[in-house]
Amino acid sequence: MGGLIEITLGIMTAVGGFVDISELVFAAQAGSRFGFALIWVFAFSTIGIACYGEMSGRIAAIAKQPVFNLMRQRLGLHWGFPTLIVSSIVNTITCAAEIGGTALVLHLLTGWPYWLLAILSTLVLVVVIWVLPFKWIERSFGLLGLTMICFAVATVQLHPDWHAVAAGFVPQVPRGLPTKDLVVFAYFAVAIVSAVMFPYETYFYSSGGIEENWKPKDLKVNRITTTVGFGLGSLLAIAILINAAILFRPLHIDPQLPGSAALEVAIPFGTTGLLLALLGMLFAISGAAVETGLSTAYSISQFFGWEWGRYKRPHEAPRFTIAWLATFAAALGIVLTGIEPLSLVEWSIVFSIVVLPLTYLPLMLIANDRKYMGEHVNGWLANGIGWTFYAVLVIAAIAALPLYFATQGGQA
Amino acid sequence: MRRDDPLRLLSEVRDLQIVDRDGRNCGICDDVELDGEPGSPLRVAALLVGPGAYSRRFPGWMMRLVRRVAGQRVTSVPWNCIEKITGRIYLSVTGESLGLRKVEDRLERIFQRIPLS
Repeated sequence: MGGLIEITLGIMTAVGGFVDISELVFAAQAGSRFGFALIWVFAFSTIGIACYGEMSGRIAAIAKQPVFNLMRQRLGLHWGFPTLIVSSIVNTITCAAEIGGTALVLHLLTGWPYWLLAILSTLVLVVVIWVLPFKWIERSFGLLGLTMICFAVATVQLHPDWHAVAAGFVPQVPRGLPTKDLVVFAYFAVAIVSAVMFPYETYFYSSGGIEENWKPKDLKVNRITTTVGFGLGSLLAIAILINAAILFRPLHIDPQLPGSAALEVAIPFGTTGLLLALLGMLFAISGAAVETGLSTAYSISQFFGWEWGRYKRPHEAPRFTIAWLATFAAALGIVLTGIEPLSLVEWSIVFSIVVLPLTYLPLMLIANDRKYMGEHVNGWLANGIGWTFYAVLVIAAIAALPLYFATQGGQA
Repeated sequence: MRRDDPLRLLSEVRDLQIVDRDGRNCGICDDVELDGEPGSPLRVAALLVGPGAYSRRFPGWMMRLVRRVAGQRVTSVPWNCIEKITGRIYLSVTGESLGLRKVEDRLERIFQRIPLS
């Protein structure tokens, strides 16, 4: 039973964290613009997040160290503090994008004004986090977010050419594209790597492991949730991409709004499909809003050594509580300025990838430190994958900003 | 590692989480205070915790900014109050008895007045 509960945490991280608003927007746009040619980037990045997720969970179980304690300890104040500032800003922007996305989906469902729905959904999320025990929040968002499976069912119903889909898993750059489109392809590749490997996912995941007091016996569950859980999330994102390639690409539709993705289920299944897709998106995106809001609070509290934890009552970790309340307030403030959620998604993607190398370096260092990890130190496989992705992340981090400006955020 | 074992101060003590006797977080070791005279070996006198201790590790402009935002509070943790150091610094006493957790405890009392907290 205990194992099943922990796997739920993995599934929630996969569904609520993997398929968030940025996945929806970039998967749908990637499919409509480049067909199946970007599937491999989703698959490739999933190996990366599974590897770092497993490592952060293993460190939580063995060394009992959350990510921002490690960062402070290994990078020191001079690198750690700027990383804290930038990642808190990125988390808050991401949280704003998720709140904006939640409000957009609710607007499609109710027709009420966007700004009012943004305020209402933030209030509901704050009350839910304040009042409900975390286990309940985790299970409700996790299980309701599984409605997103309707996107995969729609894929099967749309009868794609499975050989062509399988060919999309092979690393490739489409032939015959003009240079301008190649640059946009590169921007999408970097954006997908960033969206899949969002830094808040490891902050959230490893902090959960420490709160649940994982021990060496939990390493097996950790391995299953990071591979199967993240793999499931990745397949849902890939389903959104495939549906967009089949439905939107032939009509030259560029699905920039998160709501457009819901059409992928509405076309094969009608009103019921539309409703299921919107509800799935609502729970997945609002689940991600909870994760990003809490992740900022984790980062700050761990960096300064305060009491923290979502299993504690709000008064038991008061500065942690103030930090997540402030994050939601700031995120709502950003949404209410009227900035488009799509722009927020793009900024969070571009700035996230800049933070990623600094987030994962302390993880790699501790996971290789026998003094902390004993016999559970990284093996050749974890090191091989970990350092390969580290190199990819550094290159992507350097390329992200120039590509963003060169393509005007993928619009060129 | 025990209190009297030799250690590398910067990598093994500074920036570590401090946990008190009751398992509660009491901040981070922001700096160390050394004791000694010319010609005699240096000894660690205390760990320093608080914005006044970590802000001086920043460049000048940032130090002033951090002090303006977070204040200059420094709490001293005597070396003989440390039980062991294993990835975290474990105290043999409560945080309150050393003057740690002041802000946390004050806020905790305020939060307890809010319903459902």
